[in-house]
Amino acid sequence: MLSGKLWYERCRGSLVGGCLCLMLLASCAAPGLPPSPAPKQSVFLLIPDPEGKVGNITVTNRTGTQVVDQPHHASTVRSSDDAPSPPSALEETEIKRIFGEALAAQPAAPARFILYFKDDSEELTPDSEALLAEVFRTLRDRGALDISVIGHTDTIGTREYNYQLSLRRARKVADLLVLRGVDRNVLDIESHGEDNLLVKTGDQVREPRNRRVEITVW
Amino acid sequence: MRALPVVAVTMVLVLVLFGAIAGASSPIGLVKVTEGMATVQRGNETLPARLGLALQEGDVLRTGADGRLGVVLHDDTRLSLGPESEIQIDHFVFAPAKGRLGLVVKMVRGVMAFVSGNIAKLSHDAVRVETPVAIVGVRGTQLLVKVETQ
Repeated sequence: MLSGKLWYERCRGSLVGGCLCLMLLASCAAPGLPPSPAPKQSVFLLIPDPEGKVGNITVTNRTGTQVVDQPHHASTVRSSDDAPSPPSALEETEIKRIFGEALAAQPAAPARFILYFKDDSEELTPDSEALLAEVFRTLRDRGALDISVIGHTDTIGTREYNYQLSLRRARKVADLLVLRGVDRNVLDIESHGEDNLLVKTGDQVREPRNRRVEITVW
Repeated sequence: MRALPVVAVTMVLVLVLFGAIAGASSPIGLVKVTEGMATVQRGNETLPARLGLALQEGDVLRTGADGRLGVVLHDDTRLSLGPESEIQIDHFVFAPAKGRLGLVVKMVRGVMAFVSGNIAKLSHDAVRVETPVAIVGVRGTQLLVKVETQ
C-alpha cells in the first residue's frame, strides 16, 4: 500500500517531482480506481506489561484528553486538531496485525542475580558459589551485551572501608566472569559500599543479606 | 578587517568544544535487537544500529521497510520499533539518588512498543511520548503506539 503521503515524501525533492506527485494524487482520486484506504489515524494502545501489571496512559492534544486504563483498549487520534477518541477495545488479531513487528523486536527483560559474601571478605558463600553455574549458563544463552556488576556491604566498618570492600567484591565477580570468557568491555563495575542496603539497618550492623554483588545481564 | 578571522576561529573552537562535550556524554542504553535496515543518528552522523551499540540522549532511531530495532535504557525501559519507524530519545535522566528522573521520547512515525522502566515506577509524571497528533503521559505500563498522520 503506497499512500499518497509516501509518494509526496519521495517526490518532494524537486519541483518536477512535486508536480508529478500532484498528478499522481489527482489520478488516485479519479473515478474507476479502487476506493481509498481507511482514513489515517494514530493509535495509542494500553496492554499489560510483561509482568501482567496494567498502569494507565493519558492521551492529550489541544482539543481534548483521554485516559486509557483498561488493558487492550486504545484511544485513536486523526490529527492534532481532532480530539483523542474515548478508549475502545482492540481485538487480539488487530493488535497483532498493527503491532506484531514492533512486539517481535522487543528485548527480553534482563536476568538478575545476587551473590552473597562471607563477613568482611570477598569470598563467596557456598550457596552463591553454587549459583555461579547458573549465572554462566545465562550469560552464554543470552549472548550478554551489557553486564552490570555492583558490589555492596553491610554497615560494619567505616564508609570508606566498605566502599573499598564492595569494590573488591565486584572486581572478584568480574574476574570470575572474564575467566569464563566474558568480554571485559561489556562489564560495568560499580561499588555502592554501604549506601545501597538491600535490608535497611542502622550503622555498624552485621547483615549477611547486605554483603552482596548484584549482577544485571542485558 | 582582522576581526572576522578571529570571530570565525572562535566560532570553530566553540563548535569543536561543544562537539567534544556532546560526544563525551554518557551512554543511556544500548541496542539489543536489530534486523534489516536500522540506524542511529547522532548529530550529523548516522551509525548502523549494530548489536550492543551504546545510545546517547538525543539519538534518533530509524528503521527502513525491512527494519526492526529493540533497545534498552539504563532504567530498564524497553523500546522497540517495527518497520518504517522513527523516534528520538529526546530526554533521559535517571538519577534516583538526586531525585532527578525523566524520559521524553519523540515519535515521528511508525510503530513502537514501549515497556516502561524504573523512571515510570519512581515518578508518576516523568515519562512522556510526544507524537505529531498528541502527547502521551505513561504511568508504569506497556504502551503500543502507531503514528500515522494525514
